[in-house]
Amino acid sequence: MVRRNASLRGLADKFPESVGVKLNAVIGFNISQTNRKPHHMPVNTVELSKIRKSYDEFVAVDDLSFIIRPGEVYGLLGPNGAGKTSTLRMMIGITVPDSGVVSLFGEPLRRAHMQRLGYLPEERGLYKKMKVLDQLVFLGQLKGLSGHDAGQRALQWCERLGLKDWTDKKVEELSKGMQQKVQFIGALVHDPQFVVMDEPFSGLDPSSALVLKDAFLELKAAGKTLLFSTHRMDTAERLCDSICLINHGRAVLEGDLAKIRTGYGKRNVQIKYEGDSHFLHDAKLVQSFNDYGNYVEVRLAPGADPQDLLQAAAARARLSKFELMEPSLEAIFIEAVGKANA
Amino acid sequence: MRNFGLMNTWLIIKREYLERVRTRSFLVLTLLLPAIIGGAFIIPAKLSSMKSGKTQRLVVVTSTPQFGEIVRQQLVTGTSTGDEKVGTDTGKDIEKDKDTLDDDKPSRNYSIEVDSNSSEAERTDLRNRVKAGDIDGYLWLSDDAVAARKVTYYGRQAGGFMEKSWLSGQLDHAILLQELAQRGVTGAQADALLKPVKLETIRVEAGRETKANGQAMFFAVFAMVMLLYTAVIFYGVSVMRAVLEEKNSRVMEVLLSSATSTELMAGKLIGIGAVGLTQIGIWIVMAAVYAFPALAASVSVGEIRIPPLTLAAFALFFLLGYLLYSSIYAAIGAIITSEQEGQQLQFIILLPLIISVFMMGPVMRAPDAPVAVWTSMVPFFSPVLMYLRIAVQTPPVWQIALSLLLLVATIVGFLFLCARIYRIGILMYGKRPTLPEILKWLKYAKGL
Repeated sequence: MVRRNASLRGLADKFPESVGVKLNAVIGFNISQTNRKPHHMPVNTVELSKIRKSYDEFVAVDDLSFIIRPGEVYGLLGPNGAGKTSTLRMMIGITVPDSGVVSLFGEPLRRAHMQRLGYLPEERGLYKKMKVLDQLVFLGQLKGLSGHDAGQRALQWCERLGLKDWTDKKVEELSKGMQQKVQFIGALVHDPQFVVMDEPFSGLDPSSALVLKDAFLELKAAGKTLLFSTHRMDTAERLCDSICLINHGRAVLEGDLAKIRTGYGKRNVQIKYEGDSHFLHDAKLVQSFNDYGNYVEVRLAPGADPQDLLQAAAARARLSKFELMEPSLEAIFIEAVGKANA
Repeated sequence: MRNFGLMNTWLIIKREYLERVRTRSFLVLTLLLPAIIGGAFIIPAKLSSMKSGKTQRLVVVTSTPQFGEIVRQQLVTGTSTGDEKVGTDTGKDIEKDKDTLDDDKPSRNYSIEVDSNSSEAERTDLRNRVKAGDIDGYLWLSDDAVAARKVTYYGRQAGGFMEKSWLSGQLDHAILLQELAQRGVTGAQADALLKPVKLETIRVEAGRETKANGQAMFFAVFAMVMLLYTAVIFYGVSVMRAVLEEKNSRVMEVLLSSATSTELMAGKLIGIGAVGLTQIGIWIVMAAVYAFPALAASVSVGEIRIPPLTLAAFALFFLLGYLLYSSIYAAIGAIITSEQEGQQLQFIILLPLIISVFMMGPVMRAPDAPVAVWTSMVPFFSPVLMYLRIAVQTPPVWQIALSLLLLVATIVGFLFLCARIYRIGILMYGKRPTLPEILKWLKYAKGL
């Protein structure tokens, strides 16, 4: 308890005040955005209102609120142990929040909603000894499909993801990537409106990840609402419309990804250089920097002129790139969460 | 709402059942276990009958050759122990009950030498002959020894329990014949005097009389209680393993996004219970087809006719006992993180079962005694003890009803409690929780 408070306090020190202000602004913005489509009032797919969940002394999720609109790809981001999985579990009824309300499709979460959502857990959750098709039919039936429908749809999906020849094999005979595909089909076989995926891309080789990403985008095109958690900022940056960044169970940043980045302004500079790096340590110009090896991403100090940085850098090093840009999600993440937690 | 639940439970039952029954290990176990158990009975019996083929060379030392001859006759023509036929106490006792002293051939062949020199020198001499392997042993039946009814058998093999009791029976008989002969009673007259009593018991139940055999009854009841006991442990452990597997493979999380923990647990208990019933059913059929003729030949099955009420009680108490104990196993499966931990916790379950088995003796001797009545009401004991009472002597209806009521109420309560522990436990990974932590879980397990 004591330790957690200390780390929270530490975290508060790390956040510039502006982030907190922006957070509120972003939430406000979101609520106004629900009126974006004027023809009909879309019902939010998910509304979390001040949910809290603790396990004994440990507070996993604290006062968390956000909204996911229909048809949106939503990323739940945060470092390991931030409370992502705990949050997802409460949204699909596996656990119940200690306080606060989870609403799905405009109503408080109830049993009947389970048939309209699909869930992909963080680790493979399949019966190892069961045959692929039997397993998918079983999962589909639990979601209310008839045995026949579940079989048909499972076969279609297997064909699409290249598992056609494996439907009669036991799960344990499949490679990890194939098992993940089976798991993916298991979450989608009943054609849910809302798909929740916990770290869907972790542990996948690039080609499997690509296949899943394509399926992911197809679902989006078909108007499904997708929520996934990840600690990989590059993935989130490519796929998400909106994000919620959580740390120690609390929301640090929430809202439309493009707006968040614009809100940060063009205060980041990507520099490729050879030679003296002293300019990076000039506190008047540089608030923080992150060395990626090939290039350095620099966050300008408040009030600093990028032109001054350019001169300082060019004075003692050879530059091959100097680009003023909005911060990458990774930079935002690191700034918000702090390097220690990354 | 309700229908989802039933549908889900049904789907889970079906999956548990089919996935288990279809496996090769189910087939192998179902076929192999009877073979192993059969072997466990048949092989020792075969071995002992092989051993008995060897002739035992004994010397009978008596003060008079006449008495020696009586003993020799008795040992050579006396009854066998009958053990090579069924290999059980029951078999032996039933054989003994029968009036077959004269017409049953001894299984062990004795070659008896009568020696009427009961001096100390002769004793030393015989001892040396035994040591040299010239003879297998001698019986010292001097007048003093007979008067004191304290006979010494000195032999290379001290003899098994069965042989010893058989031998002393034969010697009793021989001594009585000798005593009778001394009083002028011989031959058929002596045999008639020594004819043993055969006790026939008739069981009266609901006005109907059934021939009952105490020993056979005990055997049948005991076998069923042991079946109940082993089945509860065996299938309970299967439940525990299944829960652990789902937990470790994280299938649980996928299932929980479709079904409630109560449905999952109920489906698992019923599915695995059905597998158990299937297996026991197959064994009963196999036993009926294969073993019954053999059993019928030696034990006279007519005498262990099991009343339908007892069979019904067996099925009922098996199911209830299984439900009670396997719900605890399911909770244990949810708490633990590995099977080793499970073994440590199993004593919780084994303790009441072991106590029930220990209580069997007292309850059988006095099924109406207050101790028997009240222990058979205790839910953890009643599956064994109330069943036992019903089998031995049907207790008053109100006692059966009360015991069932308490048992069912406890099962409902335990299903509820264990479902809560299960609900929290299945999502907990890592360290095994302590008892206070588990009690805390019971408080937070609410909701869906």
